[in-house]
Parts: sequence; structure tokens; C-alpha cells
Amino acid sequence: MHDLLQQLVNGLSLGAIYALIALGYTMVYGIIELINFAHGDVYTLGTFFSLSILGLLGVSNQLHGGVLVVDVAITVLGAMILCGLVGVLIERLAYRRLRNAPRLAPLITAIGVSFILQNVMQLWRGPSPVSFPQVIPNPGWVIGGIEIQAKQLMVILFAIVMMVALQVFIYNTKLGKAMRATAQDRDAAQLMGININTTIALTFLIGSALAGAAGFVSGVYYQSTWFFNGFNAGLKAFTAAVLGGIGNLAGAMLGGFCIGIVEALTNLKIFPNGNQWSNVVVFSVLVLVLIFRPSGLLGESLPEKV
Amino acid sequence: MRSFGSLTQHFAGIALVSVLAACSGGGNGAGTGKTIKIGVDMPVSGADASIGVTTQNGAVLAIEQAEKKGLPGGFHLQADTLDDAVQGVHSPQQGASNTRTFISDDAVLGMIGPFNSNVAKAEIPLTNEAGLVQISPSNTNDGLTKGPDAASLRRSNPAVNSYFRVCTIDSRQGAAGAQFARKLNFSKAYILDDDETYGLGLANVFESDFKKFGGTVLGHDHITKNQQDFKALLTKVAATHPDVVFFGGTTSNGGGLIRKQMFDAGMNNVAFMGGDGISDPEFLTVAGTTADGSYYTVAAPDAEKLPSAQQFVKEYQARWNGPVGPYSASAYAGAQVLIAAIVKAIKQSGNKMPTRAEVLRGVAATNGLATPIGTIGFDKDGDSTSPVLSLWTIRNGKANFVSQLNLKF
Repeated sequence: MHDLLQQLVNGLSLGAIYALIALGYTMVYGIIELINFAHGDVYTLGTFFSLSILGLLGVSNQLHGGVLVVDVAITVLGAMILCGLVGVLIERLAYRRLRNAPRLAPLITAIGVSFILQNVMQLWRGPSPVSFPQVIPNPGWVIGGIEIQAKQLMVILFAIVMMVALQVFIYNTKLGKAMRATAQDRDAAQLMGININTTIALTFLIGSALAGAAGFVSGVYYQSTWFFNGFNAGLKAFTAAVLGGIGNLAGAMLGGFCIGIVEALTNLKIFPNGNQWSNVVVFSVLVLVLIFRPSGLLGESLPEKV
Repeated sequence: MRSFGSLTQHFAGIALVSVLAACSGGGNGAGTGKTIKIGVDMPVSGADASIGVTTQNGAVLAIEQAEKKGLPGGFHLQADTLDDAVQGVHSPQQGASNTRTFISDDAVLGMIGPFNSNVAKAEIPLTNEAGLVQISPSNTNDGLTKGPDAASLRRSNPAVNSYFRVCTIDSRQGAAGAQFARKLNFSKAYILDDDETYGLGLANVFESDFKKFGGTVLGHDHITKNQQDFKALLTKVAATHPDVVFFGGTTSNGGGLIRKQMFDAGMNNVAFMGGDGISDPEFLTVAGTTADGSYYTVAAPDAEKLPSAQQFVKEYQARWNGPVGPYSASAYAGAQVLIAAIVKAIKQSGNKMPTRAEVLRGVAATNGLATPIGTIGFDKDGDSTSPVLSLWTIRNGKANFVSQLNLKF
């Protein structure tokens, strides 16, 4: 029982990182039905941007008090803005011209963009793992025998706050309404005076900014990254988005947590050699869910996709 | 359609002509060409680069020195270095492709490498078929030379063994590691491995030998490729309260990250141990301050401590402006063996370009050749008859030599 609870906590924090990446996947898919394979690499780029900003701020160790808040805020915002701009740039250069092309063309382009980003990062930061400073103090608490570290709480809270903020933005603002309209029917939205290009660019801006934030969080959490990191994380996050119902924000969140928890639970003692089988279990769960609910866990509950 | 047909014919024609040209060119090269190449295949980019480059440097140094000294018959010697890392990690597919490149070049009479056992598994069938001699400084997996695994690697040419190594094998490295662990008074071990040819083999040997020497093995798990989060796995490991976590695998497959995340799982006072897969400087970089308290074995001696290697260490540092890596001296020794066989073959064939078969025979017959890591000879499987093992620990962020085991067979 104790093991189970401890692994649930581990799974929640791992799932929160998947969820943060999955939000961006699902947003872009919701609006232009494109699986943006480059998204995982934008996430890694977020970690590298955070690292550079921390370097500029001269931070290489743990921070405390006011400096901590200010420096972390600057780093997160900086990484979000830079990644957001990269996202907009990718959309403008690689995807916009293919918007009305057969669906396979932008998909292949997305894979190409992913390779380009990976190789640019390899040139920039080298192919070896790069370590990330432990900027945030990381005390641990033991509650009823379950150990929770500050950084685990941080990741989970951060993911939930981001999802709620996004939900509010999409359902309670004018820009959000424009995004929903574009998702429903692009031509009709245009006839109603919505600037499609701006709206789609905005979607990429927000989605990629979220990836940037996730990149910072993962840097703090793992204290290391490398240029190829986004491939695996992106794959899991994409799975999370599909599991939860692609195009659905709450679904991406739920899918992320589910996958994180399933992955952690494979390490329970009752499963010998569980870690080796974790990917098999995760994808088996995906297949099973899709057989019984083809549009994902929450895919059908909301008619409007964003 | 017609024009398309004729176009393909044209291409076929061009391809045929160029193939013929390549063949005749190669044939002429064998007769009158004066350059002999030695292929060197190592992972020299990415996470494996920190150990791959120093190993490659050892081989290249030996080749450069031989060229400077001059070969009989006016031949020139050249190193042809290729990288087998793809996306930052050693890749069997890339290793096989590099080997094909060497095989298709008539001037290549032998190769040094690869560094990793799973890469060797992909390369041995190719060199076996082509009869190209291959000497590895660092492959430690038993199955490359012994038993049914080795037989299946040599299936296209069972009578010929083209693969040799100057290091020891994992059944000895694992045994040394297990003895080392017991000597340090570790009685409970948890074993992890990266599920590769090398890592899994080493972990299995460690497991059975650790038990044999009176230790208790609490569990054995495999990690997956590209895994970054080991928290859940290490939570499970921590719950069993081990004295030491043994990792069979390489830093590039997660060795450094596991050590780092052991601290997140509350195992600050648990030792970490591995084989030569974590002997690279990259391990110190990735694990950072948490690297302290790690132990590992290397299937080679500490060149800086060996009297026979002092000359080599000086020359290496003068040439490469950096410290000698764990397998630099072994790569140098491997290249020496190959060069000696080439020189002998040139002399025997009356200063003509030797064939690959002659060089292969020369390497197989090597006996008592003096190298920085001691005298080298091979048994019928291609294993070194006098391998050396060294034991290391990390203190204050630096690798410290503990002791050395000399094995004789």
C-alpha cells in the first residue's frame, strides 16, 4: 500500500511533465488538425533557453527569497517568449503554405522540422547531456510514510495552473472564441471577420510557450537535458493527448497523468522486471482505450475542439 | 514511357561503368598502390565521445608513429577514422555501415574497433565474411568470442576467426567487480542494466558471482532506451535497502542519470558500482557532485601507473595535449599488433602489398608482443591470453585508481 501511494506520487509528477507538453500538441491539433511532431523539440529548446537565461543572470546555484522569485519568473517568461516565437516562426515558414495541402504533407514537414531543431540544438549545445543548475530549493516532506519533494509538488501545481489558465483563456476571452471558431470551421470563421492567420499563429505562440515553460520545469526537475530529449518526451506526450482525446485540453491533462501513473506503477514489486515493460504497458493501455473509446477518454464529451 | 526506359538503361550503363572502373582501380591499387590503411571505428561524437575520442587517439598515435618510422617496401600507413555514434549514442547500424566502408576499400588491411559490444555484434559477421582482421580495445561481452553466440557471428565463414581483442571479457570483469564489492563489505546489491549486449551480460555475471561470494542480490531490473526518469524504479530499489546499486551499462544509456537520481530517491548513502561503461569522463559530468561514492572496473590497466606504459603516456600527452583515457593504451596496443602483422606480411610477400588473409594470419599468430599494457598473445577464439583489470573509485569528483588484477591463461 505504501509502495503504491509512493509510486502514485512519482507518477503524478512524471505525468505532469507529459501533460504540459501534451497541452501544446492538443491545441495545435484542435485548430488545424496537424500533429506537430516538432513540439517535443520546442520543449527541449525551452530547457536550453532557460539554461542560457540563467547563465545570463549569473545563476549557477540554489536561490532563495526574492531573488529566487524574480530570477525564476524572468527565466520562465523568457523561455516561454522565445519558444513561442520559435513556434510562430515554424508555423509561418513550414506549415502555413501547406495549410490546404493533403494532410500527409504537413505531417512529413513536421517530422522534418523536428529533425532540423534536433540538429540545431546538437550544434548549439553539443550532443552530450548538459546539466541544469538546481535553482529551486528542494526540501522533502514525509506524510504518512510517503515522501514528496518540493520539485514534485511544483511540477504538478504548475501543470494544473497552466491548464486552468488555458481553459479560462479559450472559453472566456474574445481571442479564445476566435480560436474555437477557427477550429470549428475555418472558412466560416473567416467570413465572420476572424483573421485566420493571426489566430493560428496565436495558437502556435501559446502552445510553444507552454512547451517552453515545460522545458524549464523539466530542467529543474531532472537537472539535465540533451538535444534528443524531446523525441521520447514528445512521443509520450502525443500518446497522452490521444489517450485523453486529441483536441481536448482537460483530456491532454488527464492523459498525461494517466501515462505517468501507469509508467510509475509498472515499477511496483508485484511486476517483476516492470521497468523494462513500461513502454509496452503504456501503449497497450492506449490501444485498449482507443478500442473502446476511439476518440479518447474525454474526446466526445465536448463538441468544440480547440 | 519510352524515354523513361532509355533513361534507366543509361543509368544502369553508367552505374556498370563506374563499378568496373572502381574494380579496376582497386585492382591496380593492390598492385602498385603504396598506401595501406587501418580503419578505426569508435563513437567519437555525443555522450560516448569522452571515452571514444581518447580511445581513437591511442590507435591513431600508433599508426602515426609507425608511418614516421617507415614501413618496409616504401609503403605508407594511414588511419581511416569513422564515427559509429548516431544522435549522440553508439549505433550498431552505423558501425556495420562503417565496416562496409572499410571492406570496400582495398587499401584497408585491418580495423581497430569498435568500442561497444553491441556494435561489435553487428560488425563481426561482416569482417568474418570479408576476411578483414578486426581488433577491439574494449569489447568485453563474452559471446563475441565464446560459445554458440560467437559461432553464429562467424556463420558465413566458420573456419576463420577475424575478431580479436586485447581487453578481458565480462565473465572476468563481472567476477572482479563482485569480488571488489565484497571486499568493500557490500553484502546486499540491487542490479540494474541497460539491456544491451554489454550491459546485460556484465550484470548477469555480476549477479551470479556476487551470490557466489556470499552476497545477497535483492533484485535485477532493466532500463529502457532513452529513459530519463528513474525515480519510480529507484523508489522500488530504495525500498529494498541495498548497500550498493550495480549498473551494467554505459553512461550514454543512463549510468550518470541513475546515479544522480539515486539522491532524489533518498539513496544518498548507497554506493554505486559499474563496469567500464561508466569509466568515461562523461559520467563525472552527468552525475556531477553525486558521482562521489561510485566504483567501477576497467578491462585494462591504469596506463599512468604501469612502468611499461610510461613512454606511451608521455608520447600520447605530447601528441594530443590531454590525459590518457581508460582505453587509449589498449587501442594503441591493438594497433601495434595489427601494424606488426602488416609489416611481417609485407616482408614475407617480398615487399608487395600484402593480402587481408596474410595480415589476419599474422595477427592470429601474435605471441609475446610487447605493448604498453604488457605482452600480448591470443588464444584460438581471439581473446587476449594475459588480460589486466583495474579497479577504480570516484572521490572528490575525480577517478582514483584502487588496484589492479593481472590474469594469466
